[in-house]
Amino acid sequence: MNVLIIFALLITLMITGMPISIALGLTVLTFLFSMTSVPIESVALKLFTGIEKFEIMAIPFFILAGNFLMHGGVARRMIRFASSLVGHWYGGLGLTAVLSCALFAAITGSSVATVVAVGSIMLPAMSKAGYPKNFSAGVVTTSGALGILFPPSINLVMYAIATAGIEVSGPGGVMISSPSVGQLFIAGILPGLCLSALLGLLTWTRARKFDYPRLERASWVERWSAFRECVWGLLLIVIVIGGIYGGFFTPTEAAAMAAVYAFFIAVYVYKDLALDEVPKVLLNAASMSAMLLYIITNAVLFSFLLASEQIPQMMAAWMSAQGFGSVGFLLMTNLLLLVAGNFMDPSAITLIMAPILYPVAVRLGVDPVHFGILIAVNMEVGLCHPPVGLNLYVASGIAKMGITELTVAVLPWLFVMLAFLVFVTYVPSLSLFLPHLLQGLR
Amino acid sequence: MLNKFFDHLEEWLIATFMGLATVIVFVSVIHRYASGVPFPYIQDFLIGLNFSWAQELCIYLFIWMAKFGAAYGVRIGIHVGVDVLINRLSKPWYKRYVIFGLLCGALFTGTIGLLGANFVLQMYDTGQTSADLELPMWIVYLAIPLGSSLMCFRFLQVAWSFFKTGYLPKHDPAHVKGIEQEEEMGSMSQLGAVSQHSGGDGS
Repeated sequence: MNVLIIFALLITLMITGMPISIALGLTVLTFLFSMTSVPIESVALKLFTGIEKFEIMAIPFFILAGNFLMHGGVARRMIRFASSLVGHWYGGLGLTAVLSCALFAAITGSSVATVVAVGSIMLPAMSKAGYPKNFSAGVVTTSGALGILFPPSINLVMYAIATAGIEVSGPGGVMISSPSVGQLFIAGILPGLCLSALLGLLTWTRARKFDYPRLERASWVERWSAFRECVWGLLLIVIVIGGIYGGFFTPTEAAAMAAVYAFFIAVYVYKDLALDEVPKVLLNAASMSAMLLYIITNAVLFSFLLASEQIPQMMAAWMSAQGFGSVGFLLMTNLLLLVAGNFMDPSAITLIMAPILYPVAVRLGVDPVHFGILIAVNMEVGLCHPPVGLNLYVASGIAKMGITELTVAVLPWLFVMLAFLVFVTYVPSLSLFLPHLLQGLR
Repeated sequence: MLNKFFDHLEEWLIATFMGLATVIVFVSVIHRYASGVPFPYIQDFLIGLNFSWAQELCIYLFIWMAKFGAAYGVRIGIHVGVDVLINRLSKPWYKRYVIFGLLCGALFTGTIGLLGANFVLQMYDTGQTSADLELPMWIVYLAIPLGSSLMCFRFLQVAWSFFKTGYLPKHDPAHVKGIEQEEEMGSMSQLGAVSQHSGGDGS
């Protein structure tokens, strides 16, 4: 009963268009004031201590690092490198777009910025070379979302935060601890590469079918020089992953190192950024992080309410009573997340849904790391379809295409993404191969 | 005039907190590794420095940044909501819902501001201090009533100006530097160059 009231209240408040964080907070306050005797002071305390963890601070640092490199100059370097590698194949510019999107999205951590940066350079170029607009817009819109799986991914950090400290016993009665940021980062790499390859493959097949132009093959000298230009940006990934897995830094420290490194590269190596522009970058990163931290605070409060009402436990019990296996549960999870992706942005979905679904998933024997990757792939799909897919809106602005027209253009790539989602869902070893391999090496 | 001053103060504060926290964590990590290098004298000096407070200070800086940044976010319209449905309503109804949403924001942040003030008073009485910095905790938590009240004020401000002028601030997430010039210059001539003169540098 209480479950229904809580969710009805939340959804009613949300669809009036108020900020998601406010809707979450108001739901909790209203429910506590009117329905329960939980002392309001304990809620207040929760609200203040919600973000008081060093792990959460990885988010502002990663956002700052991404903001330093969020520059057209960086995008151009990635594009040049990508085109020297794959430009001579069928659909060369299309493949270039996929690869450069993946690279740029990985280091900036922002899908929208990727679509803007790569899109505004690649779309005119592709039109000039004779590619139809709906082909190029479709490629850029979907490839822009690839960054969610590549480290450092803010979405995966969010998942780690949302599930941190939840102790659930698995099917065998063994306690299973929540996943670490390092594990999630490593786990995302292989699915990320697979999805990039699949999007590239579709681009290649379609380009071959319609005989779209190819670029001339670049020489190894050109490739080397293009690589040397863009390697500085890519080293950010190495610093983060190597730092965390080598045991040099905690994830938050790695994020801070990445931010300082990105500052250094942007100002002194690439010289895209003048020193007096740095305060502006800091302000941008700060306001973006503050917004996310505000959602986190209120989502923590919300999941505190759910936990005190025993809702995740009730759901888990209900699920096992219905005889849903992990197969049925994962199917339902995907559907739920895809539907939620129609209304909310990815980080809010992860923060609200993960604490509810995670205990059930673990109880049914789903690996925590695999579950995080599944959520991330869902978020990628959500970015690329209407009504709220941000990539779609941004791309429609750049390509000067209507949303409906663009939605149709995106469909082939979106279907590939959905097929990949099914694959990721039911083949856990794709996500778990690298983490297990590294664990075995230790 | 005074309003302008506070606007700038707000921006200046959150940018500084962000930068400061980054530098502090960076320096403390460098210190941890540098003090392991066996240089005579320098190592002794480095070991003598104590950076155990860095993590705690970073958290407090970010809490302050988050609370004031959230208020700044209201002013620039960065807090996103589910607006798919109300966007389809007729103009007057759309306006009513927006105002309702903004007032709910003011109500929530106002309530939290009051609860926070109460909480800080209790903290003050206990005289609790933080673990590493030994800062009085009430000063740390002061961020909540101050930030939340400022946020409440910002919500009311935005609601008022929306009511008067119909202007609603909206943050544009799609702004990337170094792109505009590119479009003017006839974007991809460089890439064309790569394919035409193979062997050339291409840029």
